[in-house]
Amino acid sequence: MGAYLTRRLWQIIPTLAGVIGLVFVLFNWVGGDPALVLAGKVPDPAQIENIRRQLGLDQPWWVQLWIFVQQVFTFDFGRSWSTNQLVSEVLLTRVGPTLTIMVPMLLLETALAVSLALAVAYLRGSLTDRAVMIITTVAMSISFLVYIIVFQWLFGYRLAWFPVQGWSQDFWTNLTKFAPLPILLGVFLSLAPSLRLYRSFILDEIGHDYVRTARAKGLTENRIMFRHVLRNALIPILTYVGIGLPSLFVGSFLLEMFFSIPGLGREVIDSVNRSDFPVIKAITVYLAMLTMLVNLLVDVLYRFADPRVSFK
Amino acid sequence: MAFLCRLVGAALLAGTWLLSAQAAGEEAKVLRFAFRSVETGFDPQRVDDLYSSAVNNELFEPLLDFDYFARPVKLVPGVVEEVPAPEDGGQTYTFRIRRGIYFTDDPVFRGKRRELTAADAAYAVKRLRDPRNRAPYGWLMQDALLGLDALHDEALESGRFDYDKPVPGIEVIDRYTVRFRLTRPDFNFLYRFTMPQTAPVAREVIEAYGEDTMAHPVGTGPFRLAEWTRRQKIVLERNPNYRGRTLDTTYADPADPDHRRILAELRGKRLPQLDRVEIYPMDASQPRFLAFMNAEHDLLQEVPFTFINQVAPGNELLPSLAAKGVHMQRVVPPEIYYYQFNMEHPVVGGYKPEHVALRRAIVLAHNIDQELTILYKGQGEQAYGPIPPGVVGYDPQFFHHEQDYDPARAVALLDMYGWVDRDGDGWRDQPDGQPLVIDYLHSTGSGARDQAGLWEKSMREVGIRLVARGVQFSDQLRDRKAGKYMIAGAAWAADWPDAQNFLALLYGPNIPELNDSRFQLEAFDRLYRQSLVLPDSPERDGLYREMSRLTVAYAPWRMSQYPVWTHLSYPWVLGYLKHPLYHTRLEYLDLDLAARNAAAAR
Repeated sequence: MGAYLTRRLWQIIPTLAGVIGLVFVLFNWVGGDPALVLAGKVPDPAQIENIRRQLGLDQPWWVQLWIFVQQVFTFDFGRSWSTNQLVSEVLLTRVGPTLTIMVPMLLLETALAVSLALAVAYLRGSLTDRAVMIITTVAMSISFLVYIIVFQWLFGYRLAWFPVQGWSQDFWTNLTKFAPLPILLGVFLSLAPSLRLYRSFILDEIGHDYVRTARAKGLTENRIMFRHVLRNALIPILTYVGIGLPSLFVGSFLLEMFFSIPGLGREVIDSVNRSDFPVIKAITVYLAMLTMLVNLLVDVLYRFADPRVSFK
Repeated sequence: MAFLCRLVGAALLAGTWLLSAQAAGEEAKVLRFAFRSVETGFDPQRVDDLYSSAVNNELFEPLLDFDYFARPVKLVPGVVEEVPAPEDGGQTYTFRIRRGIYFTDDPVFRGKRRELTAADAAYAVKRLRDPRNRAPYGWLMQDALLGLDALHDEALESGRFDYDKPVPGIEVIDRYTVRFRLTRPDFNFLYRFTMPQTAPVAREVIEAYGEDTMAHPVGTGPFRLAEWTRRQKIVLERNPNYRGRTLDTTYADPADPDHRRILAELRGKRLPQLDRVEIYPMDASQPRFLAFMNAEHDLLQEVPFTFINQVAPGNELLPSLAAKGVHMQRVVPPEIYYYQFNMEHPVVGGYKPEHVALRRAIVLAHNIDQELTILYKGQGEQAYGPIPPGVVGYDPQFFHHEQDYDPARAVALLDMYGWVDRDGDGWRDQPDGQPLVIDYLHSTGSGARDQAGLWEKSMREVGIRLVARGVQFSDQLRDRKAGKYMIAGAAWAADWPDAQNFLALLYGPNIPELNDSRFQLEAFDRLYRQSLVLPDSPERDGLYREMSRLTVAYAPWRMSQYPVWTHLSYPWVLGYLKHPLYHTRLEYLDLDLAARNAAAAR
């Protein structure tokens, strides 16, 4: 396993180099000119030139690339071009609110989706199964934005069960007062596609011979479903959950925007609007690194979910 | 001894304020409302966005102020003893700062009270030209004060701005007097000193906080920053060092019902009355709207257009809201939305009759009626000239039919000047037979996309092919400044309430920084230069009118609208009068807590 991990970690280096190169090209040659945005209402050429010099945009491209590489490995992206705040401070203060929303959402959604998928798969072809499938199809065909608008209006304003928006400095206040509505919304929204997908994973397993054999041996349905079917269906479920893990850290910018949550998703949008490249670069590169690490973690977890998987 | 007495007196006053608010059992007056976009930070010389500037206006005090009541707006002394009179034919201005104005406490002052001085005002002006600050409003003092540009250029060379080097245009005469000498006469110069960008700052504070000045505002204003979660929550609390004042009613109009209400609500009160203000920047309109509707917020400034019909259909407040005592104000700020032609473009630019005819036909074909009623839901007045209401030089009688929606006249003009379909493909061509394709540049965003759609539809109806090009805001700026467009959307909000601030957008020598429609007409430029050396007078108004007339005749702009914003407040918000230039004037607000609590109990 040690050799496997070492090999996989080495493989991260060329991938990261590719990410750095791509991000550099996108921001330096495709993105807009931040100096124009920062120069204000009356951008005279001298002012634009001065800003470019201060931001290092007048340096040759290889110097800028070298600075970027140094920033990635020293975890120091300098200061935000628009607010002058340290980028590290921006990321550290934003990640907490995002995780406060996204972690409970992921846990709840996964637990609910797996449980419901097991139930409807067990009742395959029944009226309940068909009704659930119709409801999930309808739920998936409605835009996320519509859900946000309706939920916020209904639960925040009309019924006044939750505040329309807000955030505080206190974790428990956030978790119990401001986070429930966005979490509920997020769970409701992601439940339908996950449920359908997990149902199909479980149905694949239910059709296998070992399930028939287990039934022939007289095992209880609970034991068959939870001990055998679920365990074998875990690999695709883990893969699906793993793909979504990096997005935990970016959050849902729509949720954060509509509920005024000071998270990373909203930060990304604000930074894009202001051509605040240091912040966007930092988030992009660290997200890529995180994705690679999560992929590795999921691969390791396969081994524990299914002993037939070996590290080669 | 006298100083000691003043110090003790001020401490007692501050203590009384705090005690009065926090006495046992007394509820603090906390006002809550939202901004419709996010802020950047609170270093007054380093920001230019509306919402950071709005907060800076509460934390800092510019040298001059606008009266709360006067319409059109009127200059009044801020931290100075009087509004300076122009000297040397408008080339010199001397400010005398009032004694006994103190910055809010900060660790940098090491426990001592820090008085506002003339040196602080001079320092703030110099900061605007320090290249290190990348001051977005640096242009306010560019090419304005004797010797300041030379100091700026030296700093560009050396990398260090020498704040101690004497500048002929900025003279600190004594502790409380500063004199500014201009490179040329300018009768609008004083308006610059109403902006937070020129507000005095303490040099030792700026130097102590270095790169973190955005998060450490230390001013002399009625409030100070108590808490800040960037782009999520801004909390202000009453500045205990603020001297306080009573409402100045000099310009209040007893015939105006709003003025009468405010006079009654604030009579005899020491301002500010609020203990704390919580501001929530929100990009999305719905939560901002709902937070007001369920009374989480006390004010709703700038009701989103998408919700206007739910609160004020036909611009009349909904009876259910009126029954709750909600108060509505509709205010036209000094702003204009317009579309500009690239006057250097070989097809839509130029001053030959056929090119002028094309532009005028395009203007007549653009369906401004639908833009106002459908896209802006009636929240705007059609603009007839480049000068909006509320600024000196605006002429309400300036009216014509050259910018109406009149497709029949547009077709007639196009046909008369040879912009007809020559190859039978259904689209009009240029007089020389080349295809006529208009490139319309706009920024991304649903509003801009809707406008682009309306442009395409309007032009299609008269046989003109228009291709909309949506790009990021920075790219739109780049293309506009580089002249790579044919028609582009634009808007301008007044920096100061004089027509000159708008007409500068069409003055030839301002190409391309200010004048990115690249309009260059000798007759216009001559009138503009004449107006610069005149004080506010009927003669200058005549020049402004003539410039507006030339703008309509040559059509470098399709003038769209003067926006109208609706502002709502609950009945427990006292003293609220939306100022056309300031986003908020929190100093003048009070809360009737009993009324609010009674409403919450219901």
